[in-house]
Amino acid sequence: MAARIMRKSPFSLGQLLQRGQSTMSAFEIQHKTPLIRKSSPIPVALYGGRNAVSMLPGGGIGPELMNYVREVFKYAGAPVDFEVIDIDPKSDENAGLDYAITSIKRNGVAIKGNIETKSESAGVLSRNVAIRNELDLYVNILHCKSYLGVPARQKDIDIVIIRQNTEGEYAMLEHESVDGVVESMKIVTETNSVRVARFAFEWAKRNGRKKITTIHKANIMKLSDGLFLDTSKKIAAEYPEIEHNDMIIDNCCMQLVSKPHQFDVMIMTNLYGSIVSNVVCGLIGGAGLLSGRNYGDHYAVFEPGTRNTGTAISGKNIANPIAMLSASIEMLKHLGHFQHANLIQRAIEKTICEDKIHTPDLGGTAKSTDVIQRIIDHILQADIRP
Amino acid sequence: MSLVSRNVPRLLFQALQSSSSRSIHNSIANNTADLAERPNARTTCTLIPGDGVGPELIYSVQEVFKAAGIPVDFESYFFSEVNPTLSAPLQVVAKSIERNRVCLKGILATPDYSHTGELQTLNMKLRNSLDLYANVVHVKSLPGIKCRHSNIDCIIIREQTEGEYSALEYEGVKGVVECLKIVTKTKSQRIAKFAFDYATKNNRKKVTAVHKANIMKLGDGLFLKSCEEMAKLYPKIEFEKMIVDNCTMQMVSHPHQFDVMVTPNLYGNIVDNLASGLVGGAGVVAGASYSANCVVFEPGARHTYSEAVGKNVANPTAMLLCSAKLLRHVNLPMYGEMIRNAVEKVLNDGKVKTKDVGGQSSTQEFTYAVIHNLQIPPQPPLPTY
Repeated sequence: MAARIMRKSPFSLGQLLQRGQSTMSAFEIQHKTPLIRKSSPIPVALYGGRNAVSMLPGGGIGPELMNYVREVFKYAGAPVDFEVIDIDPKSDENAGLDYAITSIKRNGVAIKGNIETKSESAGVLSRNVAIRNELDLYVNILHCKSYLGVPARQKDIDIVIIRQNTEGEYAMLEHESVDGVVESMKIVTETNSVRVARFAFEWAKRNGRKKITTIHKANIMKLSDGLFLDTSKKIAAEYPEIEHNDMIIDNCCMQLVSKPHQFDVMIMTNLYGSIVSNVVCGLIGGAGLLSGRNYGDHYAVFEPGTRNTGTAISGKNIANPIAMLSASIEMLKHLGHFQHANLIQRAIEKTICEDKIHTPDLGGTAKSTDVIQRIIDHILQADIRP
Repeated sequence: MSLVSRNVPRLLFQALQSSSSRSIHNSIANNTADLAERPNARTTCTLIPGDGVGPELIYSVQEVFKAAGIPVDFESYFFSEVNPTLSAPLQVVAKSIERNRVCLKGILATPDYSHTGELQTLNMKLRNSLDLYANVVHVKSLPGIKCRHSNIDCIIIREQTEGEYSALEYEGVKGVVECLKIVTKTKSQRIAKFAFDYATKNNRKKVTAVHKANIMKLGDGLFLKSCEEMAKLYPKIEFEKMIVDNCTMQMVSHPHQFDVMVTPNLYGNIVDNLASGLVGGAGVVAGASYSANCVVFEPGARHTYSEAVGKNVANPTAMLLCSAKLLRHVNLPMYGEMIRNAVEKVLNDGKVKTKDVGGQSSTQEFTYAVIHNLQIPPQPPLPTY
């Protein structure tokens, strides 16, 4: 209930700038008062038609994938300049993280790999969660669309998973008041639920989607998930042209693996989103294909769909570059460079679906560099170019 | 491991361009397809030759582009304020730049008085209609040009849509003319952010704000405050402020202390010209004006050099360097580097120099010397496994 107490304080630009300097306190503010909407409208970095974009390679296979992105962008002529920021995964300091967040605020748009947090001390936050919270990226979208020609359990899947991204089980409020009893809080707020539901319905409307399913566990968590469910029902009433239903998370997982085609757009709280997106990714060919988007009011961060670091396969030249490339395509679309985005998209589709150049995770034998080489060849051969 | 993976794509890139060591002269026909990062895709660029020697300089650029086989098409407009009857309409030119997003422009002559009572010059109208708010002049010492200082490398960023250039002047009382200098927070923040982003992108270490806030406490004060606020977002870049009079003195005595400078409109104009003088004059400094969506590349110091028209003596270096920057901007960096290297080589050899930098050669001779020196730039060494 404590989370429902609203603490409003007007933020001036000066304070906001100061907050950019100290993530820790700002992070705590965000957590202890999740209802504060953070906004600092710094204009995006677009000069002479070229966008500046923060690039956070992260750990594991991140750096190699980012290099592929830059290589493909060079050949496609995408007008984007990257500002590369490395965060040391081992350090206990949050200086690198602060700088990354400031950089995203300046540029407005970022592409990121999964950032490792190796330190286990309780004071060090998960960097990924910290970035989402500090930038108030309240919604995550994962568009799961089957690629033709990729061996997968289910064909022709086209599901959009929209997930609350900043609260719920990821509030990181855990404590041990009595020895041997740990409490972990799940925070659901009306404001954030409204924002997600509103976003989902607007998105569905704009993209011609027909149906939205709210995923919840309101039979057990009657208050928290109940609030989320009620909110989405209320918002749904404002969009009569879009069909709305709800489903309990356990049933949803079963339906997904047996009859996935019944789903169109799904909205859910944080942890369910994590689980469901991994289930769907598994259904259509693994973690290496899909990309996710995180949106806030002012910032957009693009990343591979399933947030895995892939440390085990790093440096072996077998990581699937498609996930990061589709993240970069979505970034280009967000920036308005549709021609470049379509150019790369078509090159990827030809490579994966027609030429069937697949990395080991899709059952092929090709190296990552083979895939990239073929994509670049297709870009160079394409007739329609920006 | 990550080093290896980082180098793998470069390897591919090189494999595609395996014939890189050959000179462009014996292989230009077969090689251009390999060279272009986007073969078949030609870039269209608006071209405004401008007044004075502008057309001669542009001709030089076109000759070099032709010789190097650069995939850029020009959409040329005669645009002039001193010759209003022949000039293309502003809307047409602006629309073309908006469509192509890049423009190569000579200098437009500005008459001292206006027949129509119009206070805005054509230059200002073009800038305002496209919102070309940021002027970037890269002042860099060139090899082979003897000056007081060597190794100068600074970037001057100038706000050019407001300030003293607002064209708001009136005579309210007979004998008293008021000229308004407009400073707005939005535009000050915008130019400050531009400067810091430019510094970040080009790995610069320091930004100096040039102002006169001790006298114009409100106007320049606002500009300075906006820069200070923006500087907090860039902890890795040093921020410094300097009063414009001191700045000009420092510029001529210790120019190496400057890295990136951000200035309001008029100060920028003065500092641009001063800095250009330090490295060899208006003929050798390249500049560019940015809006959110388009860039106009033009020489850094704005002089038409009209006394030299038709004499074949103007220095095309500035315009060629502009075109090199343009090529980098439109994703043809290798061609840009090719032109830049050729120009530097010609200047360094010192055999072919135009009058303004102490030689006797003509514009044409210089152009041919550049063409003769065009070479595919050397590739970085192959990565080792």
